[in-house]
Amino acid sequence: CAERIRNHGYVPTDDDLSQITVGVDTRDTVEEVLGAPSTSGVADASGFYYVRSQFRHFAYLEPKEINRELVAVTFDGDGVVQNIERYGLEDGQTVVLSRRVTTNEGDGDGILQQLLRSLGNFVPSTL
Amino acid sequence: CGGQSTDGLGMGGEPIESFTAEQIYGRAEFEMNRRKYERAAEYFGEVERLYPYSEWAKRALIMQAFAYHNDKDYENSRSAAQRYIDFYPTDDDAAYAQYLLALSYYDQIDEVGRDQGLTFQALQSLRTVIERYPESDYARSSILKFDLAFDHLASKEMEIGRYYLKRKHYTAAINRFRVVVEDFQTTTHTAEALHRLVESYVSLGLTDEAQTAGAILGYNFQSTEWYEDSYNLLTGQGLEMKMFGDNWLSKIYRQMINGKWL
Amino acid sequence: PDMAFSQSYRFNSVQVDGNARIETGTILSYAGIARGQSVSAAELNDAYQRIVASGLFETVEIVPRGGTLVINVVEYPTVNRIRFEGNRRLKDDALSAIVQQQPRLVFSPTKAEQDAAAIAQAYAEQGRLSARVTPRIIRRSDNRVDLVFEIFEGRNSEINRIGIVGNNVYSDRRLRRVLESKQAGLLRQLIRRDTFVEDRLQFDQQVLRDFYLSRGYIDFRTTAVNSELARERDGYFITFNVQEGQQFKFGNVTVVSEYPEADAAVYESVLKLRPGVVYSPSLVENAIARMETLALREGLDFLRVEPQITRNDRDLTLDVEFVLTKGPRIFVERIDVEGNTTTLDRVVRNQFRVVEGDPFNPRQIREAAERIRALGFFENAAVNAREGSSPDQVVVDVDVQEKPTGSLSFGGTYSTNSGFGLAVSFSETNFLGRGQAVQLTLSGASSNRTYGLQFREPAFLGRDVTFDFDLGYSETETDNAPYDTNGGRFGLGLTFPLAERSRLNLRYTLEMSEMVTAVANPVTGNVVQADIAQGRVWANSLGYSYTYDSRTSGLDPNKGFLFEFGQDYAGLGGNTSYIKTEARAVAQTRILNEEVTLRASVRGAMLNYTKGRSRTIDRFALLEDDIRGFTPDGIGPRDISNGANTALGGNMVAVASFEAEFPLGLPEEYGISGGAFYDISSVWDVGASTGIPGANVIGNNMSARHVIGLSIFWDTPIGPLRFNFSKALRKQSFDDEQVFNLSIRSEF
Repeated sequence: CAERIRNHGYVPTDDDLSQITVGVDTRDTVEEVLGAPSTSGVADASGFYYVRSQFRHFAYLEPKEINRELVAVTFDGDGVVQNIERYGLEDGQTVVLSRRVTTNEGDGDGILQQLLRSLGNFVPSTL
Repeated sequence: CGGQSTDGLGMGGEPIESFTAEQIYGRAEFEMNRRKYERAAEYFGEVERLYPYSEWAKRALIMQAFAYHNDKDYENSRSAAQRYIDFYPTDDDAAYAQYLLALSYYDQIDEVGRDQGLTFQALQSLRTVIERYPESDYARSSILKFDLAFDHLASKEMEIGRYYLKRKHYTAAINRFRVVVEDFQTTTHTAEALHRLVESYVSLGLTDEAQTAGAILGYNFQSTEWYEDSYNLLTGQGLEMKMFGDNWLSKIYRQMINGKWL
Repeated sequence: PDMAFSQSYRFNSVQVDGNARIETGTILSYAGIARGQSVSAAELNDAYQRIVASGLFETVEIVPRGGTLVINVVEYPTVNRIRFEGNRRLKDDALSAIVQQQPRLVFSPTKAEQDAAAIAQAYAEQGRLSARVTPRIIRRSDNRVDLVFEIFEGRNSEINRIGIVGNNVYSDRRLRRVLESKQAGLLRQLIRRDTFVEDRLQFDQQVLRDFYLSRGYIDFRTTAVNSELARERDGYFITFNVQEGQQFKFGNVTVVSEYPEADAAVYESVLKLRPGVVYSPSLVENAIARMETLALREGLDFLRVEPQITRNDRDLTLDVEFVLTKGPRIFVERIDVEGNTTTLDRVVRNQFRVVEGDPFNPRQIREAAERIRALGFFENAAVNAREGSSPDQVVVDVDVQEKPTGSLSFGGTYSTNSGFGLAVSFSETNFLGRGQAVQLTLSGASSNRTYGLQFREPAFLGRDVTFDFDLGYSETETDNAPYDTNGGRFGLGLTFPLAERSRLNLRYTLEMSEMVTAVANPVTGNVVQADIAQGRVWANSLGYSYTYDSRTSGLDPNKGFLFEFGQDYAGLGGNTSYIKTEARAVAQTRILNEEVTLRASVRGAMLNYTKGRSRTIDRFALLEDDIRGFTPDGIGPRDISNGANTALGGNMVAVASFEAEFPLGLPEEYGISGGAFYDISSVWDVGASTGIPGANVIGNNMSARHVIGLSIFWDTPIGPLRFNFSKALRKQSFDDEQVFNLSIRSEF
């Protein structure tokens, strides 16, 4: 049985990247040449990150990330390109996510109320 | 067992036209006290229809909106409140009418997993109450409800962020958590959003972005458990895999039976 | 109102008169002039405009008199009641939905005129073009009015004849079948579409053009449509003047790649377009769909396929060149789900294979929309993309409208011998909005007692894995058999995708079954008596089934192919051990311009026992859908000892059926279509039961029964029904024929 590969995200091609020169281009010219970044940082001076990853879907297993390309374009104080780095899957760290969730248990519908709310479906096959 | 229609047949069987505005209004109030809100709303509507120019019509209109609201018939409550605002915008009850309009959306918001379209409408109408009638006492409770609805929107963004985080789509998750940090700072979710950002950046290997997010979390939310988790994660002693009760059976119970996310 | 203005004014008081219902304060707030503030002529005019714009006043007049500003207004009356007179075709509440004017609102003559026009338009859409509507006002006390719409509906104008001029390839009759408008025939009262409606004629031109285009006539044009009113003014004669032009075929079909990583030869192999085939836009669209799906699978982002068509009139062919180009670089910024008042966001989001931040591919979004609709939780689900925060980013909006997905039914039964029985059945396909399906049945009815709980989680642990849980116990009195059955069942199952279009199901089942003498205690053959003597039989089994279904993401919507193969190994510790094998293959295609559906299906099943012997209830019996033309258990081995005549079912089953479905030419509104079928089926081999002392088994051989027949399909509000009329060509003497049966039509 075959594994199925699915690609997500986008990383600019090498010749796009070659048009960016460190120390000259600013945020706007980078966005124009390479396209909108996949994501960025929280602070204002944070860099542009383009991420492309490949997932392997196989039978009942959880989809597994088998390949990731990350192009990081970092800027200095006044928004000029400082450095272009590449990261791979191996740079990432597997993190155990904390299960806690901030909930303010509002007065959401009780289970019974939800069940009653969606009654009324007619199923011909039970004739 | 259809409701007895009030058109034509008024109290005691005579046609309703023959009663004065005050009598019909009195009957409507009687129905209100008996908690027969739908009948009360219909009677208030009759006052407005038969004596539109009387002082009673104005009070009947706002009472009609209130009655429909109690009867959870939000559609009619909104149209009655809107009519009041159109006819008597400067009246002191106009603030209450606008507030009722906002409540009609707000009361329909329920559990976080659900429709966010209603939340937007609630926020907009609550904002009009706050801006147009700032000194009325409805403004204060509107502000409170505004924050709750705003918090509701933030929790929706967080829920979608966690959806992508669990499935290892880190950029999508980061973008959702950044929306919470940038647009929803005043809500209770900002601390968790910052911690999720730390988790996502560490997973991508962008340690300096993780440090900045952790620093903001430490600066603003020092005492929260989220900061503790981020601190551990950033200093390398992340949570061990084998926490208590983390075998696959309890994982199935949590996710399939309880509907938890992880 | 003539207003003489000096340069600017200063008022210390404002006086409003003529208002009754509207408060002075309200008018002042509209006017927006504060006391003691210097006011220029323009501002006065603005105030005047604002008051008029409120739409509450018939006339407004602003007269500056020295230090005071006088605003006198005449209010519009309030609407007390709205009535419609003379309307027979359209009922009152249908009309009041169209009308803007509502009781208790301010009356305005312009709105009343608009409402009258809206009602006339509603009648025109029903084909009553000569309808006339006049609004009338009745003055009431206290400046209130009653608004009455007097409606003259006029006669229904029908289409007496439709003529088509200039068509020589296809006959008038064939083209008339394609048109939406119909000639008024015998059933003129029933059929709606013979009424003359202007915009339906536009639609007909479009339908004619598509009909010809899809048959290669790319130069087809409707030069003119004229409709003359009949002399007696009750009907119209319509003639379409058309120019067909020539039929074109495909010339040579090539693929050129301007996309660096895409190799044209690979894409050319996926094409299914051969030169010489009659040209049709849908074939080109299918080819593009195949190529774009291949690009998706190879992970080439932003690949777009543009067809360039060059005509050569000499040999009436069209050369099609597919150019693979790099489309604009657009990303999915956000996927927002709205309207899901019950369903959780993740259930909808799970249907997307696209993730926020991925390149935007319209085909993937359409596929996701299909999957969301296939969930069956929503009345409708509109998925569309709008521009996001920057031109190269798109936000995908999913607006859903929930529909009820739960059904709860109570039933009580009372019978003299077994007293009261309670029947409760609850089923929910979207339990708590999580997409889980739950079915609970507790029915203590006297004859059939069933208790069951079924649960399905389609996204087990958030993955594309379906988890099934099944627990049930039942005691049933089968009416056409001389024995009752009691049985219990506990099952767990996991189903997951193996490849793009195939899925594998793994399952564990624990079963207990028992045959008991029927309450009515009829005469039974020795085989059944031996089966009953076995008492409770436990079977513990592990099983799998592999399914390949080309329709899930197949490219060609008209063709479909399904193959299923499954086995259950029973025996781990139970007192019988056997292998049950089942296989099924179905192929379906639509021909003649997607109007006729042909379907061939083959099904086989086999039971081989290694320990113990199969009983009547273990063996296969042919259900109604499998063998049209016979009663259930109508064919197959029988035990005729002790004068009984009981069907025993068989360890082996083979069924083949060939069907066709075709329209009967009736208007679609009736939802009736026809069909023909030819079935070959057989059930045989009762295994070791032939050795039972005193057994007298007949029909234990594999003689196939042949049946042909016709069926009528009717889509009714309670579900798609199927009426079958069948005739057995070859059968056994002791088979139970059944000429007619009614069943629910099932998709394969």
